[in-house]
Amino acid sequence: MVKLREAEAARPRSGMMGDTFALLRRASPVAWVAPHLRSRLLVAIVTVAAVLFPIVIRNDADIDSAANALTFAALALGLNIVVGFAGLLDLGYAAFFAIGAYAYGVAASWQLAPAWSGFWEPFQWLGLVSRFHDTGGDVVHFQVSFWLMMPIAAAITACFGVLFGAPTLRLKGDYLAIVTLGFGEIVPIVARNTPSITNGAMGLNGVAAPQLFGWSFGVNATPYYYVGLALVAFLILVSHRLKLSRIGRAWMAIREDEIAAAAMGVDRVKLKLLAFATGAAFAGATGTLFVAKLQTATPEMFMFPVSVMILVMIVFGGIGSVWGVVIGAIILQILQSWFLEDLSQWLHALGRLIDVDWLQHVELSSSIELIFGLILVIMMLYRREGLIPATRPAPPLSLAEQSAQVGRGGFDRLSSIGLLDRAVEQGPLLDVSGLTISFGGLVALRSVSLQVPAHGVVAVIGPNGSGKSTLFNVVTGLLAPDEGHIRFAGEEIARRPPHAVLERGIARTFQNIRLFPNLSVLENVMIGMHARMHTGAVGAVLRLPGSQREEAAARERAMEIISIFGNRLVPRADHIVGGLSYANRRRVEIARALASQPKLLLLDEPTAGMNPAETLELADQIKSLNKLGLTIVLIEHKLDVVVSLADNVIVLDHGEKIAEGTPAEVRRDENVIRAYLGRSAAVA
Amino acid sequence: MSFDAVLLQQIINGLSLGAMYALLALGFTLVYGILELINFAHFNVFMLASFIGMGALELLGLSGQSTILGGSALAGALAFAFIVTMIAAGVIGVLIERIALRPLRGVRGTAAMITTIGVSYILFNVVLLVFGAESKNFPNPMPTVSWQVGGATLHLREVLIWIVALVLMAALHLFVNRTRLGKAMRATAQDAEAARMMGINVDRVIVTAFFLGSALAGAAALIFGLYYNFTSFIIGYTAGLRAFTAAVLGGIGSVTGAMVGGVIIGLIESLGGQLIAVRWTDVIIFSILVLVLVFAPTGLFGRATPTKS
Repeated sequence: MVKLREAEAARPRSGMMGDTFALLRRASPVAWVAPHLRSRLLVAIVTVAAVLFPIVIRNDADIDSAANALTFAALALGLNIVVGFAGLLDLGYAAFFAIGAYAYGVAASWQLAPAWSGFWEPFQWLGLVSRFHDTGGDVVHFQVSFWLMMPIAAAITACFGVLFGAPTLRLKGDYLAIVTLGFGEIVPIVARNTPSITNGAMGLNGVAAPQLFGWSFGVNATPYYYVGLALVAFLILVSHRLKLSRIGRAWMAIREDEIAAAAMGVDRVKLKLLAFATGAAFAGATGTLFVAKLQTATPEMFMFPVSVMILVMIVFGGIGSVWGVVIGAIILQILQSWFLEDLSQWLHALGRLIDVDWLQHVELSSSIELIFGLILVIMMLYRREGLIPATRPAPPLSLAEQSAQVGRGGFDRLSSIGLLDRAVEQGPLLDVSGLTISFGGLVALRSVSLQVPAHGVVAVIGPNGSGKSTLFNVVTGLLAPDEGHIRFAGEEIARRPPHAVLERGIARTFQNIRLFPNLSVLENVMIGMHARMHTGAVGAVLRLPGSQREEAAARERAMEIISIFGNRLVPRADHIVGGLSYANRRRVEIARALASQPKLLLLDEPTAGMNPAETLELADQIKSLNKLGLTIVLIEHKLDVVVSLADNVIVLDHGEKIAEGTPAEVRRDENVIRAYLGRSAAVA
Repeated sequence: MSFDAVLLQQIINGLSLGAMYALLALGFTLVYGILELINFAHFNVFMLASFIGMGALELLGLSGQSTILGGSALAGALAFAFIVTMIAAGVIGVLIERIALRPLRGVRGTAAMITTIGVSYILFNVVLLVFGAESKNFPNPMPTVSWQVGGATLHLREVLIWIVALVLMAALHLFVNRTRLGKAMRATAQDAEAARMMGINVDRVIVTAFFLGSALAGAAALIFGLYYNFTSFIIGYTAGLRAFTAAVLGGIGSVTGAMVGGVIIGLIESLGGQLIAVRWTDVIIFSILVLVLVFAPTGLFGRATPTKS
């Protein structure tokens, strides 16, 4: 009975929308296509339809609207990298759009016309500039090719992405939003106030149209449509491949829990800047296309409302969902340029028919921003995941998959344990000496020294608030000690950033479980491998053979690690960890730590919240890990677990080490009894 | 005018702007202190309130700057306008909290902030659709009495603005520090969970913060109208961002900080416009915003850091 109820709870909850979608899915011809071919078929249909669109429509104004829609889809894809993947809310994204647009606008117009000199000759030879005879002497005319300028503008904007991103790295979400909003305001104001470069509020004029094999695009919308389509297709591919790579997982880890991401080896600074740069580059390339199509650029085209509009598009489509944001952008653009116009016309006709004056003058297209506002509020209140959610719920488990037997005896094989150098085998693996840290007036650790021998199991015990977790935080680099040394395998690691500590081979779990709640079990474990993998953004996008091999191997190893917990996690590998039971989340956290191939594993109350049978099972598994050569430090309150696992016990009280020895010795120690039970118990 | 006189004149102007920004900044700070939420709707609550204030004055038969009142009639008219505007703005703030933000309480991340952007957009566009895009002549019944101070001109309206702002800020200070609800507010700002466990009705505290913050925005809106003699649907964004900068500069969450920050931003705006160039004023103010957040995120009087721990 209980199991049935659990099955009910495990089933993903589907709202009214979900039911409707499910119904539609069953009724549609899509149901006849094999599931693994469906997405490919859909992509093929969409591609063919998009390619045929201008040929079928033939109306230049409609093609023009479609080209604009594609421009905004490209921008939405870029903002989605920053906001959707990395979770960095950018309210000034239009600034990057502006920088890309002005970069091309200045490089392909008469705006800058310096006097001609020999310096320009090589550029003339390359075809980037031409010599123009003016009445006041010869001047330089910039005529950099659109096709060359698109990647250059992307690179320039990426640099600005790093420049604007760098100061915001330490800020949390809402402050980041404000700072980016500030940059978003500053860029158009600078553009307006530096007329020598940008022609100020008047805007750039006569930006050259792109040319292809000598044929100019001119003002005809169709070629821009196809360039936009190619750009969007390319950016979808890039987004998609990044999302499913080591880089994408690291971004999502930062989005879900920055501290845990750092502790799992993700270099936050590097990856956040990479996200800013990638998102900015998308906007820069798109800006080139936008300004080439309009052949002008004014500061007003890049103000706050544009940033908000792109945000509305990704919120509407589904934050983090690649197809979602494209569809969101296209729907909103079509709504704006076609539907509202038509609806206004229709209302005017209705007004004339029933003789209502105000209906005849309604202009719905001017209320588009009102609609944007309503979309933001309604989506946030009722459907935060957007039209097409980034993650789909995994299918519910069968009863057989759900029933787990308590397994005893641990396991005897696991490839993912860091091997120690022979030199380290002799001395202590972890050597902490004189560690002191205080928060304001509270001394959390006072001159604590301890040693962990290679291949040993050391338990740290002590009453609540005695400094156990603080010790872990200092060792793993989340806190910097006031004084003291931490040597790991002979190397000083105190004050190193958390990801560097993990790279050296120290992995940890957290007392209050810090998983990445909206990612699957497999993704969580694979993020643990971040530091042991090498695929960069380029490798991920190109899907180089090495990257593909690495990814496949990582997946395989993650499954191997998950399988040490028997069938508790294996059937749930694709489930979102936020929905797992407490004990299973603890197991995922241990698996994630093991994925980093640690030499030393720090477990913070690993059996908390587990029943006695589960506790025994986990204790066996920890013992197996130790037998396979892993050195372990664990914080634990359950004394039977401590006794059965630990060779050595260290007792902390009020931040000081009050006892150390074998479990039996510590049990008899008067100081320990006093700390736990009070003075009278010690005397008695 | 000599340079000193110009400077003095700009300080007088800056103090008046500062009084307005301070009142507006208090709304950001009160809400942020308790919910850690940057309330973008506040921008346009301010803007909407200026239209309400205009309506209240017009209700008294005042329009434009032609009808001049004096003595008790002036005091009565202004008191009526301030009370109506502040109460109406406060109610709007409470409604926004109740309808759009309370359902998102406890949702992780930036959902609530994105919602406030949406609400702000809705208010903005509703006012635009209802009242149109052209700016409105704001009724001003104050006589153009002025004094010469060291070469600069001090108008009666400026003195009145300072008095109103000081009275409201003093009242808020007393409320936060001396009343039971004020104490509950401070407790909730420190630790909402603990406050709840101590029997404090956190919902009521949040509603109070929204009411007070929005009511002060209402007062700021009326001051804006009386100072500039116009209002328009676009006034919320610039004034709101400057007031937000003031709140950050003073230390977001700190009531004293918002007041001091408001005055500093007002002075920067008037003196910066005089000494550098008006067209760069916004760049200066946004640069301050960015620099303070990046290098001194606690501001002048703040305690909580806006960085993740």
